[in-house]
Amino acid sequence: MLSLRPGGTRRGEEGLDINVRKRSEVQVIQLRGALRLGSAVDELRQVVEEAVGNGDTRIVVNLAEVPMIDSSGIGLLVRFLASTKQRGGSIKLVQPSKFTVQTLRLVGVLNLFEIFDDDDQAVSSFA
Amino acid sequence: MNMSSEAGDHRTPSNLVELLDLRIPGDAEAISRVTDRVSATLSELEIPEEKRLDIALAVQEALANAVVHGCKNDSSKQVRCRLQRDPRGRVLIIITDPGPGFSLEHRSDPKSPANMYADHGRGVYLICQLMDEVHFEKGGREIRMWKF
Repeated sequence: MLSLRPGGTRRGEEGLDINVRKRSEVQVIQLRGALRLGSAVDELRQVVEEAVGNGDTRIVVNLAEVPMIDSSGIGLLVRFLASTKQRGGSIKLVQPSKFTVQTLRLVGVLNLFEIFDDDDQAVSSFA
Repeated sequence: MNMSSEAGDHRTPSNLVELLDLRIPGDAEAISRVTDRVSATLSELEIPEEKRLDIALAVQEALANAVVHGCKNDSSKQVRCRLQRDPRGRVLIIITDPGPGFSLEHRSDPKSPANMYADHGRGVYLICQLMDEVHFEKGGREIRMWKF
């Protein structure tokens, strides 16, 4: 069972760690590992669905330790970007790797996201 | 990037060295093992990181298509992944599944406004962006991807 309780960390079967903290009414989701088809994407989907279901639509996803995002992970991010924006929130990205930026650009979704250098800047941008 | 369906892979030389020949069940959880194994093998060969990441992501996407569409997530079915290299250092990945086959005609454009927020439909497009040549053979049941 995944939890959105502050500081909760989940180690996924495929090696994706998901850590969720709440800062100034913003959900900060720190990922560590590849975000790709299978339990990694399924578990992040569950976390974000739970947040959005609880009315938490202001979300920061820290990608600093994510070496790869596949099209399944990209689909998840853009889907929840759309749903959070419809509810007055957004999903903002922190420190995607050079390869992740290239991947997002290749499929034409890079410009959909606001990208920040650190969590503080991303959280403050919601104020 | 060259891509074709049923056009034949005329670049395939006869002196390719087989580096990996792996079979996995049609289960999404099995994909990462192959992707990581391919990446580790390329790393041992001192393939530059940028090229290695491109190949690993293309393999991930092709295996995902094979498992989801080719096997319908049926773990009793098998996907085969071969990694080969020619004397010039060019890398060939061949992934085969038992499904009905993929047709390039069914490929969507993920950059069109209608598809921008879709949660699927980017895999083959991404493969074609990451690799130098992509061929579909055997009625679309086999994808052959070259990185030069």
